[in-house]
Amino acid sequence: MDTRRSTNTRMVDDKSLLTYEDLSAIIDLTLWAGQLLLQHGAETQRIEETVHRLGTGMGCNWMDVMVSSNTIVVTAISGHQFRTKLRRVPALTINMAVIDAVNTLSRRVSTGELDWLQVRAELQRISTTPPRYNRWLVVAMVALSCAAFSRLAGGDWAVFGVTFVAASTAMVVRQELTRHHFNTLMMVTITAFIAALVVSSATLLGLSANLELAMAASVLLLVPGVPLINAVEDLIKGHLVTGMAQSMTGILVSACIALGLLLAIWLTGVGGL
Amino acid sequence: MSISALMWLLLRSGIWAGIGSLGFAVLFNVPPRLLAGCAMCGAAGYIARLLVMQLGVDIEGATLVGALIVGCGGELLARRWRAPVPIFTVSGVIPMMPGRFAFSTMIGLLRFATSGPDASSQMLVEASLNATKTALILGAIAFGIAAPSLLFQRHRPVV
Repeated sequence: MDTRRSTNTRMVDDKSLLTYEDLSAIIDLTLWAGQLLLQHGAETQRIEETVHRLGTGMGCNWMDVMVSSNTIVVTAISGHQFRTKLRRVPALTINMAVIDAVNTLSRRVSTGELDWLQVRAELQRISTTPPRYNRWLVVAMVALSCAAFSRLAGGDWAVFGVTFVAASTAMVVRQELTRHHFNTLMMVTITAFIAALVVSSATLLGLSANLELAMAASVLLLVPGVPLINAVEDLIKGHLVTGMAQSMTGILVSACIALGLLLAIWLTGVGGL
Repeated sequence: MSISALMWLLLRSGIWAGIGSLGFAVLFNVPPRLLAGCAMCGAAGYIARLLVMQLGVDIEGATLVGALIVGCGGELLARRWRAPVPIFTVSGVIPMMPGRFAFSTMIGLLRFATSGPDASSQMLVEASLNATKTALILGAIAFGIAAPSLLFQRHRPVV
């Protein structure tokens, strides 16, 4: 027998045995929490630990969790009773507020502050809370970021302005394509294409001399930072399968950014080609 | 470079990097109470990287130092504000992302492929140099922000 498990079972032996229905309820709630984390960009270790902490906090003796790139499997164990459930999880956008909220929830459950009904209500609240920032505020802030990066890379104020306009156009395009459920890779390619087109047209009008800086900076809003960082985090911590899947996502998105830029450069012939 | 010029460069870059991190924090829907932390991480990491580069270290090594600063800063802020570490680190390292090197790699390869009889091996060398720099910087960023959690959170596995 797994020694780690036997120690742990001894530690939690005082927990009363749960019925089959209780286990069903727990597994539904914990899967829900795990799903929210996986959908909004948490790394594997966090998902496993949170699901485990929630389940044991609600009375299970042990929780076994398996996370893959788009599926979660959870087994809840109480005494000799156990239930297993698998859930498919479609990927959504990065949303740190959800990760923060589920993190707080799991801490409150493990200290015994919340009962099952409250956990259900809280998960319901987290799932239905709309994004906190108005979409135009997001457009303005992201465009300002990209423009700031063009300044960091050594661009002048003309480059700053062109980048701001190109990045805000790209961000609006991205929001619209996402809203209409376009495939992510398709969305990235088109968005990068549009950003590069805007920069090119600004150059054709003679607005800016340094096209390359503006072009490189205006597609930064598409850079797959979270998948790449999660990939390394997963690989280092031994979750090789999810780590490889995340790296592949990062590589594909980067390739699509390049593809979109290339299409625009071929079309307009700008960029010294 | 004189001290005052250096300070001005660091201050200016820190502000731009902070704004950059802030914008991405908004994109990632970070709760308002944590936004300032994201901007601080971004600015601190970038300033550290710039300072180390001014000392003559090349960009890969400097990025590792900058990412370590972001990682440690994120760890501290996460404890103080009881929030997940990645909120601060993910937006904090965005200003250090090697966007320009990746872009140069792509453009260089494209020029090589389309230049016909003028193609020289020098173009290929330049492109692979940029590609290597991109990969090394990405690796430095990822290792830098993962290192603090590997060092400070060595508890027995929960799962």
